[in-house]
Amino acid sequence: MKVTYNWLKDFLKIKIPPRVLAEKLTMAGLEVVSLEETGGDFVFEIEITSNRPDWLSVLGVAREVCAITGSKLKTVNPKETKIKKKEARSVKISVRDKKDCPFYSARVICQVKVGPSPLWLKERLELLGCRSVNNIVDITNYVLFELGHPLHAFDLDLLSGGEIVVRRAKPGEEIVTLDNQPRILGDDILIIADRDKPQAIAGVMGGKGAEVTDNTRNILLESAVFDPVLVRRARQKLGLQSDSAYRFERGVNLEAAKIASLAAQELICRLGSGKPGGYKSSGMPESSGALVNLESAYVNRILGADIPAPKIKKILSGLGLNPIARAKKGFAIKVPVFRQDIKLPVDVVEEIARIYGYDKILQTLPAIKPNAAICGKRDVVSHIKNALIGLGLHEVITYSLVDRELLLKSGIKSDTRPVEIINPLSREQEVLRPTLLPSLVRCLAYNLDHKQEFVNIFEIADVFSRGENSVREELSLGIALCGTHSFLTRQGLIKDEVTLLHLKGVLEGLFNKLGIRDYDFRNQGESGIHIVINQQEAGIMLALDKKALDAFGIKNKQVILTEVDLGRIFSFISLGKKFSAIPRYPEITRDISFIVKDDISVKDLLAEIKSKGLPLLRKAEVVDYYQGKQIPEGYKGLTLSCVYRADDRTLTEGELNPVHNSICSLLEERFGVKLR
Amino acid sequence: MDINLIQAQIEADLSNAGSLQALEELRVKYLGRKGLIAELTSSIPALAVEDRGNFGKEVNALKSRLLSLIHEKEKSLAGDSGKAGNVDVDIGMPGIAAVLGSTHPITGIIDEICTIFSRMGFSVLEGPEVETEYNNFTGLNIPSEHPSRDAFDTFYLENYPKLLLRSHTSPVQVRAMKAHKPPLAVVVPGRVYRPDAVDASHLFMFHQVEGFLVDENIRFSDLKGTLEFFVKSVFSSDIKMRFRPHFFPFTEPSAEVDISCLICKGKGCSACGKKGWLEILGAGMIHPNVFKQVGYDQKKYTGFAFGMGIERIAMLKYGINDIRLFFENDLRFLKQF
Repeated sequence: MKVTYNWLKDFLKIKIPPRVLAEKLTMAGLEVVSLEETGGDFVFEIEITSNRPDWLSVLGVAREVCAITGSKLKTVNPKETKIKKKEARSVKISVRDKKDCPFYSARVICQVKVGPSPLWLKERLELLGCRSVNNIVDITNYVLFELGHPLHAFDLDLLSGGEIVVRRAKPGEEIVTLDNQPRILGDDILIIADRDKPQAIAGVMGGKGAEVTDNTRNILLESAVFDPVLVRRARQKLGLQSDSAYRFERGVNLEAAKIASLAAQELICRLGSGKPGGYKSSGMPESSGALVNLESAYVNRILGADIPAPKIKKILSGLGLNPIARAKKGFAIKVPVFRQDIKLPVDVVEEIARIYGYDKILQTLPAIKPNAAICGKRDVVSHIKNALIGLGLHEVITYSLVDRELLLKSGIKSDTRPVEIINPLSREQEVLRPTLLPSLVRCLAYNLDHKQEFVNIFEIADVFSRGENSVREELSLGIALCGTHSFLTRQGLIKDEVTLLHLKGVLEGLFNKLGIRDYDFRNQGESGIHIVINQQEAGIMLALDKKALDAFGIKNKQVILTEVDLGRIFSFISLGKKFSAIPRYPEITRDISFIVKDDISVKDLLAEIKSKGLPLLRKAEVVDYYQGKQIPEGYKGLTLSCVYRADDRTLTEGELNPVHNSICSLLEERFGVKLR
Repeated sequence: MDINLIQAQIEADLSNAGSLQALEELRVKYLGRKGLIAELTSSIPALAVEDRGNFGKEVNALKSRLLSLIHEKEKSLAGDSGKAGNVDVDIGMPGIAAVLGSTHPITGIIDEICTIFSRMGFSVLEGPEVETEYNNFTGLNIPSEHPSRDAFDTFYLENYPKLLLRSHTSPVQVRAMKAHKPPLAVVVPGRVYRPDAVDASHLFMFHQVEGFLVDENIRFSDLKGTLEFFVKSVFSSDIKMRFRPHFFPFTEPSAEVDISCLICKGKGCSACGKKGWLEILGAGMIHPNVFKQVGYDQKKYTGFAFGMGIERIAMLKYGINDIRLFFENDLRFLKQF
């Protein structure tokens, strides 16, 4: 909203320069977002918060300047002119529903001479960014900007029956608005009609039908109070914006409605553009403001300040809040009608603090009583993130809203119907994602396009699916790996292309860190590798298929993905550690190298060995692995390392050898391995 | 054979060794494939069964003693030559990599903010992103079909008429207050959503951190003190802060909080629109109507609440000029954090 320095000066004496005034307004809650010197005046652009419709005018800002600077406001008090009965032209007003329109007034101006506005009027409007149309329209706009109440002028002779009907539109009824757009109305839209048809959308915009033109001789000047919700709905439904709707939506008041109508008449007459021709109104809404009782102690208790009662009184008077001092160091405040925002004592506290100055209130530190019972999941999630970062992965954050096509492209969970957004602005906001993986693949493809050789990323975020009466929202971990990891070692450069086993290694590292012991990876063929934790399905691991790779434009590379349902594994996470004693006696390590058929699962093999080797065998793990020329087709070469130890003595070869030999025979007999 | 005698001899030999080369010769003599220790070990099977164990142990002890003596002598000889063990390394070569990943800058900032408030005694809570209309609006004193909703454009969900994607983190205030009695000191990080076209400073998804404190006698001055501690911790101790009156439906009095521009230190530059100030927070005293909605005693309790946009703080702190970078996830961007 814009006001000018000179226009403000119509209402009060300002002794401070524009820049200082701008600063003071900002610090009182009327944020001046720009101040421009133009045409010998200064234009303030002010951001007005939605609770203060009374600031949406020069008068409103002037009131505030008075409260800040202590100046006195020149009151606006235009007089009603008496007119002879025979000169009065009668109009009929009928308001169908008082709730839709609590007050409607019609002022007739006769012998109107429509023409260009005088220069000073044009200039003022133009400073506020309002285009001059003709003297009548300009005057209604001038009054709107000065007093904050919207007016509308109809060509009275074009209103059939000389009649005003305030009613809901009939379904399908049409109007062409002043912006030349034909619009179809409905019964949720309040209109101003004549005897036959709509002539304006109440509070939003007038129609072409009774527009004031050069031929207009008599006008009907409307000043009314409409239901803010109806104005808002109509504006939204018709996709319209207007200065008038902006003010009606935020709330106007009866007092301003009456004064604005008179002020417009006075200005028209003063400029010799017409003569009073009668006035009629309908409805009389309540016009008394709220009564609020306020104790000074309450003010200071909320603010943590020590503002003396006389100072409080002075601030309130300056704001026009008419305080009446009461016993018990308090005030009774009769709130003026234009301050519809003040309902509670705390609303008045803000007024006092604003004018007193937020900067004058001291800074204190509260004595906070921490509550250990209030504890979210964030610590555990941070733990998981830190573990993954330690494992070399990069955290990404991608949008929870995605386009349907992305889900289809990946082929992951593409058969489930995602939760849809009613009002997306673009395709990328169509649905809530049921899985993190498509977004991760897109992110990965983006990085491959930007010449990254190795992409290893993860995200932890909520995923969404349809529930019976509500949306299921679950915390999920997604990891995506792709490409070749190169690292320089003393042996030279090693290039390592990622596989499912790399991802398995990441998950094993994570699970161990989280104290999850019972986990398993089960290959279920087409549907991927299922991650099972404590005998429950907790996630999936997969290599993206060719079709999906093509869809994302990824060539000659494998994309390895996993998604883990974190909600499901939270209960299995045990970050509490328990110390077990460091062994006192030495361990003995024996390696076994052998070849074995490819279809033998190493997992089964290790499980058998471990149970056979009890209790001396403490650990059995694969320490080397080879396939290639020396190994026959269909076989893999493995080296297992077996660690033996006793808790109460140093193990001797004599004890160890029979156990180790039995393990070797087990491998040969049970799994058909050939020892090397 | 007397092991002790052998050991004494070895110790004498070693202490006389005058060069690394002489030491190496001794090492071969004792520990080589045909050295003394090997000889002793191979003699074990020839011993009487009852002697074998003891002798074996003695040989092992001798061997480890020998190893440590050679090692020590080696170190002292190297020192004698005036050369440290690190001289031969070209330290200009890259280190053998142990590669760390990276935390997303948004997560980093959120962690930093939560840590600062945790130090003051706040708990960290989170809430769902799909919210009820009540928690997002009505419970926070934002009536339906009211212009105050204009500031909170919201995504609505097909088939779930009472649900929406939260447009701010404040609904967690309602949840937390309904679940817990005061005193209550909570910060809430999370994703929020608003239908917006994407450009260099707008996104349809971004992050906020919300905070609130409810107890007896919480005052506006406490809000100022708490936020000053916060901005000084997160930016720098010489930063200035100012409170400007503002309007939020769920707080009264309400304020917008500015900090002195990080670039021009308050003199006015293009980053702050020549104002010298940057707006970073919204805050205020919790509105009595919110207490009414959650069933708190308005006479007994007061409280404050604040909220901030994380992307904005991250952009200011890291000098990032395009908000889209956060969600493009270019590794060349991510690896900088």
